[in-house]
Amino acid sequence: MYGFHGRLLHVDLSTGQSFWHEIEKPRLRAFLGGIGLGTSLLYDYAPAGVDPFSPANPLIFTSAPLVGTGLTTTAKFAVVTKSPLTGFIADSLSSSYFALELKRVGIDAIVITGRAAAMAYIFINNDKVEFHSADHLRGKSPLECESLIRAELDTPAARVAAIGKAGENKVRFATISNEGRHAGRGGVGAVMGSKNLKAIALCGDHATAVADPTAVDSIAAVLRERSLGSLTDKYRKIGTVANLAVFNRLGTLPTRNFQQSTFEDADALSGETLTENNFSRRHGCASCTIRCERLFKAVDGGEQRLEYETLFALGPLCGIHDPEVVLRAAHLCDHYGLDTISTGGTLAWAMECSERGLLPGAEELGLKFGQAEALLAAIPAIAEGRGVGALLAQGSRRAAIELGGESMRWAMHVKGLELPGYEPRSLKTMALGLAVSPRGACHNRSGAYEADFSGEVDRLRTDSKRGSLVAASEDFAAALDSLIVCKFLRKCFTDFYREGAELLSKVTGWDYSSVELKRTGERIHNLKKLFNVREGWRYDDDWLPERLLNETLPTGIAQGVGLSAAELREMIQQYYRARGWDETGNIPEEKLGALGLPTHISSMLGVRNETDPRTKP
Amino acid sequence: MNRPYNGIMDDHRSIADATAVILTGGKSSRMGRPKALLPFDDEPLIAHIVRRLGRVFAETVVVAAPEQELPLLPVVLVRDQVAYRGPVSGIYHGLKAATKDVCFVTSCDAPFLNLALISHLLSQIADWDVVAPFWQERFQPLHAVYRTKVAPLLKDQLERGELRPIFLYDKVRTRKIHEDEIRRLDPEGFSLLNINSPADYDAALQLWSKKYSISVSVELFGVARMLAKTQWVPLDLAQGATLAQVFSALADKFPVLLGRVINSEGLSNGYTCNINGLKFVRTPSAKVNSGDKILILSADAGG
Repeated sequence: MYGFHGRLLHVDLSTGQSFWHEIEKPRLRAFLGGIGLGTSLLYDYAPAGVDPFSPANPLIFTSAPLVGTGLTTTAKFAVVTKSPLTGFIADSLSSSYFALELKRVGIDAIVITGRAAAMAYIFINNDKVEFHSADHLRGKSPLECESLIRAELDTPAARVAAIGKAGENKVRFATISNEGRHAGRGGVGAVMGSKNLKAIALCGDHATAVADPTAVDSIAAVLRERSLGSLTDKYRKIGTVANLAVFNRLGTLPTRNFQQSTFEDADALSGETLTENNFSRRHGCASCTIRCERLFKAVDGGEQRLEYETLFALGPLCGIHDPEVVLRAAHLCDHYGLDTISTGGTLAWAMECSERGLLPGAEELGLKFGQAEALLAAIPAIAEGRGVGALLAQGSRRAAIELGGESMRWAMHVKGLELPGYEPRSLKTMALGLAVSPRGACHNRSGAYEADFSGEVDRLRTDSKRGSLVAASEDFAAALDSLIVCKFLRKCFTDFYREGAELLSKVTGWDYSSVELKRTGERIHNLKKLFNVREGWRYDDDWLPERLLNETLPTGIAQGVGLSAAELREMIQQYYRARGWDETGNIPEEKLGALGLPTHISSMLGVRNETDPRTKP
Repeated sequence: MNRPYNGIMDDHRSIADATAVILTGGKSSRMGRPKALLPFDDEPLIAHIVRRLGRVFAETVVVAAPEQELPLLPVVLVRDQVAYRGPVSGIYHGLKAATKDVCFVTSCDAPFLNLALISHLLSQIADWDVVAPFWQERFQPLHAVYRTKVAPLLKDQLERGELRPIFLYDKVRTRKIHEDEIRRLDPEGFSLLNINSPADYDAALQLWSKKYSISVSVELFGVARMLAKTQWVPLDLAQGATLAQVFSALADKFPVLLGRVINSEGLSNGYTCNINGLKFVRTPSAKVNSGDKILILSADAGG
């Protein structure tokens, strides 16, 4: 078999047993790897309606056909599970050497079920699975775990993914981290923590054959060269933090819990200013020529990675203007293993509630917009579940439901996942993308904002084109995330489906066409939706927070711009039509059949674990 | 997949690695006074051209007639041994004096030089010996790029009495730049205008003031800001100016952007432009209006 190993490892933590199973070729062809394969396995391994913290909820790590081929930006892996934050699919990507090692242990996926009796870690050394106590690793950061585990296994080549204290304490937006990178969104780290699994260590030496190595090398050379041209200048020269100044200027920078879309101190936090004052060094994932990561000098002499989403969420969203504070807050999130977007989003909600006198207990921390010390004190409190931190560890949706009353109006999430740094009112395509995404408010499983930033549409107004634009963007992302290719390489393809299919064919030996690859993207996206439907998705889950529909933007170039419920409803209907779904957002059986997806789920519809609360739109 | 990808990579031979050669030794007989010394934009015309080119080229060579009076200039000054032998001799002496292997040759009477067009001409030299614009049915040898290695052929030409530069073009690999290609970067062909008579001079002065009759400001973001080391760039442009002129004027002020953010097509792949924070436009032919704020930013909003 080329490009894959054709098998998965199932680890049952409750019994301490491991099994290797064949992965059927048709499944690989239909779902590829990464997010696609992970979604397919989740659908089959997760019992319908499973509680995300139940031992039965599978935590799935997947590799992909392009991993290990040397093609730039492909050292990535996916983590897929049922999200404790949303109750729907959580599909997260991370990257670098752990991804390469996952491929080298000779499997395409690890499916973890059960719960260890005590905190443990597993070591997968080629075909051997070892269970180790992780009691001594309790409270350690993911980075500390990596070096400790490598040392005690006496295996310097081992690669480790671990959770921090937040994952141990089942903070619903905890991450799984490797080499400083995170599978960040949706609380995959909390699921790992619920299984008493502190870390996974990998070491292997299985090679993966590709069908036509010469052709793969030649395509890789072309893409490598393109990846070093002007198309990736932003990522190579400044990093994603470059977004902040632009977004502020365009009135799309969410500020103070989405009360504004511009931040008066944006200059102090801009990527340009950070680069000038704080730049320390550039870093990249394994097998990447773009090397978008930026490490900045922090006040204590250390270095801190910073991406736009972290910068926005711990900066303007919380009214923080001091880059040093943002860097320290980012460091705390990395240390405890917290998703920075949900951390910032939940804290911004708490700050607003506190300012409105709705949040008892917030006074002790002094949680108000712009209060640096309060922000820095709240992050450990969340990770450790102390004081008001225990409430915030549930994420903004659950916290608001628990607090009740008016606080629900200020929880800025979709399906429970806090919004990323794209203001929906001044990015109308993105507004739709956020509302309908199966993962919740997500900027990665579609790139709907691209249409808004391209001139293809008027970003401040809605029109009838948005449904098909969002659907196409989601399918594109699903294909990229399943091959896997980093999104920062996406513009280096002149015709992604043609070039991607050619690449896949040369790797796997399949005769994969551009039409098939496009269809695969569509199939994967539909399966995510189907999973959500099975887990109790309802029509009003595809919606945006009330504030976005009731308040117009008060500042900046988009001042006065809003989004009405009727406009959003119309865009959602366009989207369902573009998808071939019915007007209630469900997938007709014929559509499922045409995509080769299960059609027998009607008996399971509406199974919803009621620990998954919702807010009404 | 294995095809070449035009424009995706920066394909420019850098201006910073070429020599500018300015010929000043003409008779100025129709003008009635030395063209090099005509006041233009508050300085002698030759100083104006030297200043524009000197900021961006690795070196500037001025070829003058024996005894010709010139202001003090920061250039390599060479003098033709015989007065008024015509452009072939001037080009020959200029190429001979150049230390770079590629030269852009112009004259002292062309005040509307356009760096984007010059940069494009230079970018074409890779497989050629001469790159010459063909404008209004004629080659423009005094707005062309030459490899210095053609100098001996010019010397032979002089010895044979072939005093028109275009005799060279049949002997070497010459890339003809057609009118539509020129217009993409310089729609009116202003950079090919010469001042030969007092009437030309008056027209040029008028054009100069008209050319800069509206004001826009460019706001640079990200890589463009870091390269130019500034955020805001005020620009004066002609009525009816387009984004092409904005990019060209911007490149003129900040040559460091050439080949990186701005190329011969307009903006490099990977960059886009937004007018007044509202409309995203990349088409160089899009008109701009006085007071417009033109944002230049990465085309990729991801992250």
